[in-house]
Amino acid sequence: VRRAGHLNLELRRIGDASVVSACGDIDLSTVARAAEAMDAARSDRGPVFLDLREVGFMDTSGLRLIIEEQQRAAADGYRFAVFPGSPKVQRLFEIAGLAGDEALFVDPSTLSAASEGD
Amino acid sequence: LSARHEEDRFALLASIDEVADGTVLLSETVARLLEYVVPAFADVATLDTISREGVFRRIGSRVEGPGREELEKGLLRRRPVPEAPVGLPAALASGESQLIERVTDEHLRTIAADDADFALLRALELRSVLDVPLLARGRIVGALACGVGTSGRDYGPEDLRFAEVLSTRLALALDNAGLSAALTGLEQRLEVTLTNLAEAVIVRDARGSIAFANPAAARLLGVASVDEITAALPGTLMALYDVFDEDGRRLSLTDLPSMLAVRGERPGPLLVNNIVRATGEQRWLLHKATPVFDADGALSMVISVIEDLTEVKRAERAQRLLAEAGQALSSSLDYHQSLQRMAELAVSGLADRCQVLMRGGNGELEEVATAVGESATDRPAGEAGEVRQQELAVAAEVVETDHARLAGRVIVVPLALVGQPPIGALFLGMTESGRTFDESDLRLARELGRRAAIAVENARLYAERSLIATILQRSLLPPELPEIPGFRLDSLYVAAGEQNEVGGDFYDAFEVQGGWMVVVGDVAGRGADAAALTSLSRYTLRTAGKLLGDPVATLEQLNAALRERPGLSLVSVCCAVLRDMDVRVTADVVLAGHPPAFHVRAGKPEPVGEFAPFLGAYDNGEWTPVTVQFEPSDQLVLYTDGVIDTVGEEERFGEDRLVATLHGAAGATDAVARIEAAVRAFAHGSQADDIAVIAVERLPVRR
Repeated sequence: VRRAGHLNLELRRIGDASVVSACGDIDLSTVARAAEAMDAARSDRGPVFLDLREVGFMDTSGLRLIIEEQQRAAADGYRFAVFPGSPKVQRLFEIAGLAGDEALFVDPSTLSAASEGD
Repeated sequence: LSARHEEDRFALLASIDEVADGTVLLSETVARLLEYVVPAFADVATLDTISREGVFRRIGSRVEGPGREELEKGLLRRRPVPEAPVGLPAALASGESQLIERVTDEHLRTIAADDADFALLRALELRSVLDVPLLARGRIVGALACGVGTSGRDYGPEDLRFAEVLSTRLALALDNAGLSAALTGLEQRLEVTLTNLAEAVIVRDARGSIAFANPAAARLLGVASVDEITAALPGTLMALYDVFDEDGRRLSLTDLPSMLAVRGERPGPLLVNNIVRATGEQRWLLHKATPVFDADGALSMVISVIEDLTEVKRAERAQRLLAEAGQALSSSLDYHQSLQRMAELAVSGLADRCQVLMRGGNGELEEVATAVGESATDRPAGEAGEVRQQELAVAAEVVETDHARLAGRVIVVPLALVGQPPIGALFLGMTESGRTFDESDLRLARELGRRAAIAVENARLYAERSLIATILQRSLLPPELPEIPGFRLDSLYVAAGEQNEVGGDFYDAFEVQGGWMVVVGDVAGRGADAAALTSLSRYTLRTAGKLLGDPVATLEQLNAALRERPGLSLVSVCCAVLRDMDVRVTADVVLAGHPPAFHVRAGKPEPVGEFAPFLGAYDNGEWTPVTVQFEPSDQLVLYTDGVIDTVGEEERFGEDRLVATLHGAAGATDAVARIEAAVRAFAHGSQADDIAVIAVERLPVRR
């Protein structure tokens, strides 16, 4: 059982893209670290992805982080997308009216296929 | 020749031999030699040297009689015309002495370089001249030229022979002087080198007396000149200082490496804290000493090099003190405690006494922290009060003028943030250790003062924020829920975490155009910012709701207000407007980034609401009302995500558990009580997020 408030973050670079993989809970107690990871991920207009597949729980503070990143991406002209998480996590996007935002979500398998095709 | 004449000439030779003993510098030797030659043997004389490389150099000239100085200068500048068949050029070329008993203008023309040179030679009024090469160690090292005329004398062959004798002595004198010059040059070069060394160098003889010291040594030891060091009697120099090792142990002369070396040891370097007693000037000096032995293996001298490590040592101390003080100052929000710890740190390295004075409510300075070092002595009781008054006056002036004071054993710096008036003063004093403060101490004190001011300011700001937060928090929650005819309201609010941390949850219920608005909201973030945002949200909703009546229009107003704020201000809201139209009662529920409300009918909860974006996220949003029929005994339960996010032993409370909890709820009060009990039973650890719940129930019996 994963303890609440536990979050592991990993930053990977794939080509010019940065992927922040979160594993654990994104909530009030961990969101600051997640924000730091996002700050570190941003580089020279390369796309930034947040991998939520291993996130057990996310609250509105995580959602706020994602909305902020989305708006920064729009303003600064880089791509930001999320690898969708568990149904519980996706429920949060639903509540926030973001479930239908196709640009926000990306299936990581299509992403790697696309980059292999390059 | 008269006896007298002979005697004079022997005396002249003897004098020259005296000069030739090699102890005198070349330039001085030449001057003295020419003085003996003129006027005793000549009215005009010049001395020249020729180096091994054949370079001709006129090293002296002397003329007796009127216009002497001008003529001497002229002669000194003269160079012999090499190809002239007579006189000096001939003597140098042939190595044989030349005598011209009767000098004619023709002679002069032959040796003159030009008209000006001819005029110079004529002005000497020469009657006879002698030119004698100087021979030493088998080579021509120079030449002596002598002339007579103004005295009425003439030279004859006898004079030539004397001149030849004279020249051998002169050659010897010059040669010795040259060697001496080379030797002196070496000593001079060494002295020049030592003099210009940045490191202090002191040379002690085998008995330990100081034989040499360079100016750097004088500077380092705080004395006016090198002579003060070299003239000092053994031991008297040491009495000028208080010398301690790194641990503060007092050292005597015999502990120093140079004296250890004199005693035959080979000591390692020693770092000492050197305080000049008279001025209190403090330096950190690294003493290194090397014994030098002569060919027989006996100690001939000890060379000590003293390196000034004051800056390094102080930088190290400053760094440590600032780091520790920084830690102390940031460790507590009780600034009295922080300042006290800073004062204690200050007396462990920077000063003997430290006081922090701050402006009180009446503007007077009050002592808020004080520390006395281990080595400091208490002042006599009678004196203390008076000194205290003086110190307070100085501190008051520093605070008033925002100018630091450095005066010997006292430093007073303002406690001030950049560009702001001082809030107090940091007072540092020296007593027992006897040393005085300097500019580097002042810099360090200033930095301490600045950091202390920051700590105080932070603590004050924090206290202020806490106060603001408390006031806001009080204003966020309605003191009591309104009475709504035909309805019953109940609510729950659980604040999370620290008592000063105002959460962002709120609820409210108020009358609007054509009905009542019931609302819960959640502001992202915590603390004073969140509290301010909560306040803004709540009052915007109230005002807009009352004026507009429509829930969507109300949310749009808040969205617009949030979009105007700098940065991203996100608020989630669940808003319901109850409309009582006689028999038929409806509830319009609008969600904005918020989980659904629950409509409980006959004990069965159903989620209500259409998901839509947070308020504050986008300029425009699609917030859509969902209308439910509100029958008697129906309840509408609005809550914030603190409920469903409650941390349990293994998982979060979640929506499903909330539905189960509300299953069978018999009314508003029951619904709220069930949620409170369920969350309390489920929660594991401290409450992480605020919880706000508001439930409204349509009373079964109309009035």
